[in-house]
Amino acid sequence: MKGFKRCFALLFFLKVGFIFSQLSPSNGVPASSMNQIAITNVDVYVRPDLKVENATILIENGKIKNVGKLLFIPDGYAVYNREGFTVLPAFVELNTDLGVEKARPTYTGGMPQLESKKFGDYYWNESIHPEVNAVSILSSQDQGLQNLSSLGFGFALTHQSDGIVRGSGPLVALGPLTKSEQIIASNAAMFYSFEKGVSNQTYPSSLMGSIALLRQAFYDLRYFSSNRSAALGKQSMEPWAQSVDKPSFFHATSKWDILRANKIAYEFSMPFIYFATGEEYSILDELKRNNVKLVAPINFPQPFDISDPYEARNIPISALKHWELAPFNLRLLSESEIPTAITSRGTSHDTFWKNIRKMIALGTNQSTILAALTTTPASFIGMDSLLGSLEKGKWASFSLYGRDPFYYETTLYENWSFGKNSSVKSIPASDILGRYHLNFKHHKYELIVEGDEWNPKAKLAVYKDVFDEIKNIYKKDSLFIPTTFKIKESDVIMQFANPDSTDQIFMLHGKINMKGRIWEGDVIDPQGNWGHWSAIRKVPKRDSVQPIKNASVTIPERWFPNMAYGKPTLESNTPIVFENVTLWTNEMEGIIPSGYVAVENGVISYVGRDKPNYPKGAKVIDGKGMHLTSGIIDEHSHIAIERGVNEGGQVVAAEVNIGDVIFPEDISIYRQLAGGVTAAQLLHGSADVIGGQSGLIKLKWGKMPEEMKIQGAPGFIKCALGENVKQSNWGDNNVVRFPQSRMGVEQVFYDAFYRAKAYRKEWDNYLSQNLNGANKSKAPRVDLELEVLNQILDSKRFITCHSYVQSEINMLMKLADSLRFRVNTFTHILEGYKVADKMREHGVGGSTFADWWAYKFEVNDAIPQNAAMMQKQGVTVAINSDDAEMGRRLNQEAAKTIKYGGMSEVEAWKMVTLNPAKLLHLDHRMGSLKVGKDADLVLWSTNPLSIEAKVVYTFIDGELFYSMEQDAVLQKANQIEKTRLLSKMGEQPVSTEPRQKFLKKPKRFYHCNTLGEEGAETENTH
Amino acid sequence: MEKKGPKPKIPIDMKLVLSFFVGFLGCLSIHSQRILLVNGHLHPIVGNEISFSLIEIEDGEIIGIKNALSENYDPTLWDTVIDASGQHIYPGLVAPNSTLGLTEIDAVRASIDFREVGEFNPHVRSQIAFNAESKVLQTVKTNGVLLVQATPRGGIISGTSSVMKSGGWNWEDATLQKDDGIHVHWPATLYGGGWWLDPVERKNQGHYLADVQKLRDFFQLAKGYSENKKRVFDQRLEAMLDCFSGNKRVYFHANDIQQISDVIAFSEAFGLPFPVIVGGEEAYLLGKRLADSKIPVMLNRLHRLPEREEDPTDLPYRLPSMLKEQGVLFCLQNTGDMEAMNARNIPFLAGTAMAYGLTELEALKSITLWPCQIMGIDHRFGSIEVGKSATLIVSKGSILDMKSHQITTIILDGKVESTLNFQEENYLKYQKKYLQKNK
Repeated sequence: MKGFKRCFALLFFLKVGFIFSQLSPSNGVPASSMNQIAITNVDVYVRPDLKVENATILIENGKIKNVGKLLFIPDGYAVYNREGFTVLPAFVELNTDLGVEKARPTYTGGMPQLESKKFGDYYWNESIHPEVNAVSILSSQDQGLQNLSSLGFGFALTHQSDGIVRGSGPLVALGPLTKSEQIIASNAAMFYSFEKGVSNQTYPSSLMGSIALLRQAFYDLRYFSSNRSAALGKQSMEPWAQSVDKPSFFHATSKWDILRANKIAYEFSMPFIYFATGEEYSILDELKRNNVKLVAPINFPQPFDISDPYEARNIPISALKHWELAPFNLRLLSESEIPTAITSRGTSHDTFWKNIRKMIALGTNQSTILAALTTTPASFIGMDSLLGSLEKGKWASFSLYGRDPFYYETTLYENWSFGKNSSVKSIPASDILGRYHLNFKHHKYELIVEGDEWNPKAKLAVYKDVFDEIKNIYKKDSLFIPTTFKIKESDVIMQFANPDSTDQIFMLHGKINMKGRIWEGDVIDPQGNWGHWSAIRKVPKRDSVQPIKNASVTIPERWFPNMAYGKPTLESNTPIVFENVTLWTNEMEGIIPSGYVAVENGVISYVGRDKPNYPKGAKVIDGKGMHLTSGIIDEHSHIAIERGVNEGGQVVAAEVNIGDVIFPEDISIYRQLAGGVTAAQLLHGSADVIGGQSGLIKLKWGKMPEEMKIQGAPGFIKCALGENVKQSNWGDNNVVRFPQSRMGVEQVFYDAFYRAKAYRKEWDNYLSQNLNGANKSKAPRVDLELEVLNQILDSKRFITCHSYVQSEINMLMKLADSLRFRVNTFTHILEGYKVADKMREHGVGGSTFADWWAYKFEVNDAIPQNAAMMQKQGVTVAINSDDAEMGRRLNQEAAKTIKYGGMSEVEAWKMVTLNPAKLLHLDHRMGSLKVGKDADLVLWSTNPLSIEAKVVYTFIDGELFYSMEQDAVLQKANQIEKTRLLSKMGEQPVSTEPRQKFLKKPKRFYHCNTLGEEGAETENTH
Repeated sequence: MEKKGPKPKIPIDMKLVLSFFVGFLGCLSIHSQRILLVNGHLHPIVGNEISFSLIEIEDGEIIGIKNALSENYDPTLWDTVIDASGQHIYPGLVAPNSTLGLTEIDAVRASIDFREVGEFNPHVRSQIAFNAESKVLQTVKTNGVLLVQATPRGGIISGTSSVMKSGGWNWEDATLQKDDGIHVHWPATLYGGGWWLDPVERKNQGHYLADVQKLRDFFQLAKGYSENKKRVFDQRLEAMLDCFSGNKRVYFHANDIQQISDVIAFSEAFGLPFPVIVGGEEAYLLGKRLADSKIPVMLNRLHRLPEREEDPTDLPYRLPSMLKEQGVLFCLQNTGDMEAMNARNIPFLAGTAMAYGLTELEALKSITLWPCQIMGIDHRFGSIEVGKSATLIVSKGSILDMKSHQITTIILDGKVESTLNFQEENYLKYQKKYLQKNK
């Protein structure tokens, strides 16, 4: 929390007293202005929790002088009677790019753009442009921006929605103001995101690349602050250094981005306020722990078109649940006391107020909503002393509504900005809707005035006795006569045909009096005679409309994760005893045909043939006829990763980390639990010679990313050789990045490690100085990439290297020898069998496929006996998946080493359990049934290497994450929940809400060679 | 203590001897006309299993199946006698809807021969592009897959497939059933473009009906052509003639319920004698209609992920038993990622089908007899019966399980084939290297 202590200093250049300032020459005598105004008879929300009815607002010089009931109006005030209207403080929009010029790329050609093409001394990466200040490319009269005021907004913080460091933006006042009045602060806030934007530079090409780049840029800014002459792009760094202390907004693309960015916020003591996604209700506790501030959208999803059951069955439960829960987001956030503002971004004129009233109907407090539109955003930008409410001394910026817009469908008539009125819709003389008795001469009709308050329509109702021939009686029937109806200020003009003789016309003109209740005037009858008419309102419409009720609606059930196979609550951790079960110990004891395993506190507490003392409260599982093993560990996996498995933008990308982009809502996690997988190394792809760091996780379905990570696991990093790094299969345009041959690959490694060594030396020199204070030289620049490379050289981070042919395998071992480190693992390693002796000598392990080959040229010599052959030569060998589907059948892939190469069952099984644990340096905690190891256990229906083996239970750290019987329960729960949601969706009348067509998302999964943030759709080449 | 299970390991020397032996037989086979398999556990697929069997082969045909416990045999009457004691004998396995022989290395464009330019290509034939000496094919054959339906890809009608042997001197020699059917890729119904985090409408969204109409128009044209006695020769339409006469199957590649439902109606409307669904991921929802209209299904690779997040994790594995229960004729196939090399895992797809509801016999049928019935070659292939082609494999254990699958003998249309492939040869080569080095 240390970093968050600093408050925002209010650094704005406020234009105090700007109402009087007249610095530019005017044409003739300057326009007269009214500086003292009273608005009377209005209901005022002074602040979110205070509504004063029938009040007067006194305004002086653009500020609120007072608000209250029965206020004395001093002389000299212009009085506006707005009886019956409701006044809300002007809303504050924080998340908009309206009025700001769109960003354009500097290059749009077809070849990969490796370097920045900007002219000038800017930062090296085009997606980092702190120098952009939206005020200089703002058109404040932009229609879109000004349209915000018709929703009730009076202030907007706008910016250019592009890039990772997006630049700064102004706070703009909306309304009929002079240009200088509009810009309240030209440099009010800074904006960030993980989205690269329009830049065509190859780097970054992934979410984790964006994360690394943003961190590096912050380090560079820090360095620049003490080394103003550093060649880091002065034209970017100087403006950034000036605005970095401004309130900083971070645009989150997924709810997980909030957690990711908040790690950076802590790292650099740089509190972000998040533009959220609307799904935050599903991770409330984690957000609360992170102490975040949010700006949430209210663009709730439309219901789906579910008219065709063939299509409806494709709508995932997660999408249906989100549809139901989205309107509860603000309510849940506020109940968790997470400060949240709301934005109109993503809503239209039609949906903004509709969605607000929907939130109220679903139990959100009106004051919560108003605060989220006014005081909360104002405080986020440190402006709460001047705007956000209508308390004394604050700016007189507010909106006037026909009725209380939180509870009634109504119209916004006027916006007042610094005491200046601008009409949005013309105010009707009075509230005239209702039913009237119209009298003239000898006629008496009923007049119905209905529709829009400011553009009403009218009709005459005539009641006649009609003879019913069937029932043989007279009965009353009503007849409607269309009426031309016009309101001009307080005049009303009508025309209608004589109900008794349709070719005759009456023409009326009159005044509306007495707050709309009595009208009177003159009429010309069909004969051309003048007469007098009057109408008296009997039933005002206002009283017949029911307000929206703030009902006590139960919040729909949230699941963890909030999708299919999620649960309302996770299992608790109890002791367990497995009885009478065949134990595959992976230890000296080998396979124990019938034994016991006990688990306490998530750890194995007993393994043996004899019955142990059962821990208190233990869940006892009879494993008769079944087999218990330690969980499968997938050494090479790409599941549970969000927005990009490769940072292919640079050939050395050691700075990026898969651990930053773990995606806990990947259904693959659950499916792999059903295949007995309990842990996985989530590897960076193979697009780079030195790729990103790994994420080592346990498959804790339903938990948060940080809870899934294996605490205390050593660091790993992916390297790659061969066709993928030399871009052999990337098409004809990708021929410019170095390397394009295996020759070049070696040199990329050497260059990277030589740079790392030089970097190390620089820091060593600096740190070894014994000088104090002024004599001490300045700290060198932090370079995230070189930091990580030094970890490799220090054997503190281990390489898993993508490799295929023997030449490249041999090369990397020799290179590592010369730099005095060891390659930890070769992955794929399909020609490992050719150099297994050299591998043993170097001490490197192999993690391979059981039988894949023929997918590209460099796997032409692959053989399925590879795993067995390497193992027999003394190499530690694992079988991995690199594939979301095969990951759930790794037991079968292990069994293939029996078929190809004749491994024993015990050795075959170790290939997916103990051996990967060894390769990951986690064998002291995982990989076998041994007292003291993590209780990552799988109970199989039969011999786990058999094609007929099925997973009965999967435990991780002693906690149940999958079971066959629970799976059946969850399947049923899915079905019930989906049916419930579809019928609820079906209940909504189609007419009231437009429907969205369900678009099936392409089914894509990450593989080694998947580029960009997309998943591979068709064939892949690993 | 390690478990003392059955030792699947073959001692290296033995293996060398065995492979030379088989190689030798391979050479002999040119002259060999009478082969006898002795004492193997026979899984004939049609008829009862025989634990100790005698299988008599002459001129490529099975001429007798006997019980070795009750019949004597005279080895001198046979050119070749193969002892299959303690081993299992199955019919050769089938790889329907495959690019085997038409591709070598997925990422090398020059090695790909299964896709043509154009939308309607019924006249494009796979038979003559089939590489009978493909290295990939060799590794598939040695796992017991002896019959391949070499199938073109791409377009709306991608071309005409042929049923081939998984080896031979050339395509002509390898052909079993020339031009067995055309392959129609039924239009997609529901698609999102963009990508899975940000789907956008794809161009063909909502064009389903138009796309189907296009296909219907083409069939209308072809049918008109077939009925026109004075027709002027048209290369493309000529290739469609047999679809209406019944000499060619029409394979409709279709997966979702809407597609399958429309294929059934389409086939009825055109009176197609032999429509087949290829894919059929949602065929289980229309089982009764498929059974009633006798339309068989070639099921997509079972080892794949379910389509929807809420689908049961094992849904693809259970499709065979669900279709079986509903009386739909089906077989397994292996289309998908890296399908050519992956075809050697077809027996394990059947193993999965067994683990999820089929009996062992049904599982075996789904990769032997049933695909042959669907492709119309069951009079010669798909089971071990007197009068049928001698196309069979011998394995040390059950072929449905990775643990026990170990092919020792391959007889393809009466010829004894080598069980060695280049991978095995490489293995032996490097084994020799290490043996010498470690001495």
